[in-house]
Amino acid sequence: MTTPPPGKPAALADELARLEEIVRRLEADDLDLDAALALFEQGVACLRSARERLAAAEVRVRTVLEDANGTLRLGEIDG
Amino acid sequence: MGPADEVFSISDLTAAVRTVLEGGLGTVWVRGEVVQCKVHGSGHWYFTLRDSAAQARCAMWRTYSQRAGRPPADGTEVFAQGRPTLYEAKGEFQFVVYRLLSTAGLGDQQRGLERLKAALDKDGLFDASRKRPLPRYPSRVAVVTSRDGAALHDIVTVARNRWPAAELLLVASRVQGDGAAGDLVAALKLVNRLQVELCIVGRGGGGREDLAAFNDEAVCRALAAVRVPTVSAVGHETDVTFADLVADLRAPTPSAAAELAFPDIRAVRRLAGDLGARLAGGLSRRTRLAAERLERTGDRLEVALTDTVARHRHWADRLAAQLDALSPLRVLERGYAVPRAQDGRVLRRVADFPAGRPFSLRVADGDVPAHAD
Repeated sequence: MTTPPPGKPAALADELARLEEIVRRLEADDLDLDAALALFEQGVACLRSARERLAAAEVRVRTVLEDANGTLRLGEIDG
Repeated sequence: MGPADEVFSISDLTAAVRTVLEGGLGTVWVRGEVVQCKVHGSGHWYFTLRDSAAQARCAMWRTYSQRAGRPPADGTEVFAQGRPTLYEAKGEFQFVVYRLLSTAGLGDQQRGLERLKAALDKDGLFDASRKRPLPRYPSRVAVVTSRDGAALHDIVTVARNRWPAAELLLVASRVQGDGAAGDLVAALKLVNRLQVELCIVGRGGGGREDLAAFNDEAVCRALAAVRVPTVSAVGHETDVTFADLVADLRAPTPSAAAELAFPDIRAVRRLAGDLGARLAGGLSRRTRLAAERLERTGDRLEVALTDTVARHRHWADRLAAQLDALSPLRVLERGYAVPRAQDGRVLRRVADFPAGRPFSLRVADGDVPAHAD
C-alpha cells in the first residue's frame, strides 16, 4: 500500500467562492452591524489568503516515480 | 552556347532531379502488391510495389519498419504511405515508405475499431452525462505524456504564462509505438493514486500517423476510470480518437488543453480585486445604513421628548387656570365681599354682627370699615 505524495488542497476555489458569498450577504441589507463586521473580517481573511496564492511565483514541474515496492515519490525535472 | 558553358555533373543532375521529385508530390498513400521484400541487416526493408502496369522500388527505414511488425510476404496487397525520392548513387527513383498496412489487415482493423466503438458506446463511456466540469482553479494537475515530447513542454509553457500557481506532475508514458497502450494504462491508474484535481493526457504533434494507443480499449477504460476530470490532447486536428471521446474535454493540441485547463491569472487577480472592492463597499454601505438608522432614532427620540414637554406644559397651564378660578380674589372680583371682625375672623352668621360693633368688609381691592346698626 502506498500513500500519495502530499499536496496542498485546492483552496483557492473555495476561498474565492466563500468571498463571493460573503460579499453577496454583505450587500444585502438584512444583516445587523455586528454580523456584518464579523463577515467583513472573514472576507478580508479570505481575500488575503487568495491574494497570497495568486502571488505564488513559479510553475512547478515534477515527475512521478514509482519505486520497485510501489511507493510513489516526486522527482524534480527541468520543465 | 556550347555544352562546355553550362555543364551539369551527374551528381548535380541527380541532386536536382531528387529535389524536383521530393518537392513535387510530398507524402502520399499508394496501393500495390509487394514483391521481393528483403530485410537488410541494418533493419531496413527493401521491396517492390507493383500493379498490373508498373512498379516502384521501395525502401522502408528501420525506424518505420520496426513499427510495421513482420515484413510482408510476396503478393501481399498493401496500402503504403511514403514519398518519392531519388536514390542518387544508382540514379534510381525510389519510394520511401513510412507506413505499410495490408489491405486485408486494414479491413480487419477498421472492423475491430467499429466493434470497439460500439462496445465503449454501449458501456456509456461516450455519454455526455458522464462529462465532468473542469476545476476552475486547479492547483495540481497530472500530465500523462512522454517525458521528452513536445506536449509536456507546450503545457508547461502555457501554464507559466497563464497560471503560475499550478503544480504539474508528469506521469511519463510512451504515447506511440509498441508498449504505448500498456504504458498509458499504467500511467492513468497511477494518476488515481495522486492528489491532483485534473488530468491532461496527450501527445505532441509530429508523428501523426500512430494514434493506435489512443484507440486502445484498455486505455479508454483506464481513462474513463480516472477519478478527476480529464482533458485529451492527442494533437491531431482531423482524426478523433476514442480517448478523445471518453475524456471529459477534448482539446486539439496540448497547448489548447493547457489553455482550457488553466485560468488566466490576470483575470483571477482582477476578480479578487473586484471582490475586495465590493467587500469594502459592502461594509461601508452597511455602516452608513446603521449611522442613518441611529440618526433617525435620535430624531424620533427628540420628537417624543418635545411632545411630552408640550403636553406637560399644557396640563400645567390648565391646572393653573383651575387654581386661579378657585382663588378667593377672583370671587371678590365678581362683586362678593368677605366680612371680617377686627381680629381677622370671618363673620359668617347674623349672630356674628351685634349692633354697633365695627367690622371690615374685604373687597377686591381692599378693606372697607363698617358697622351693624
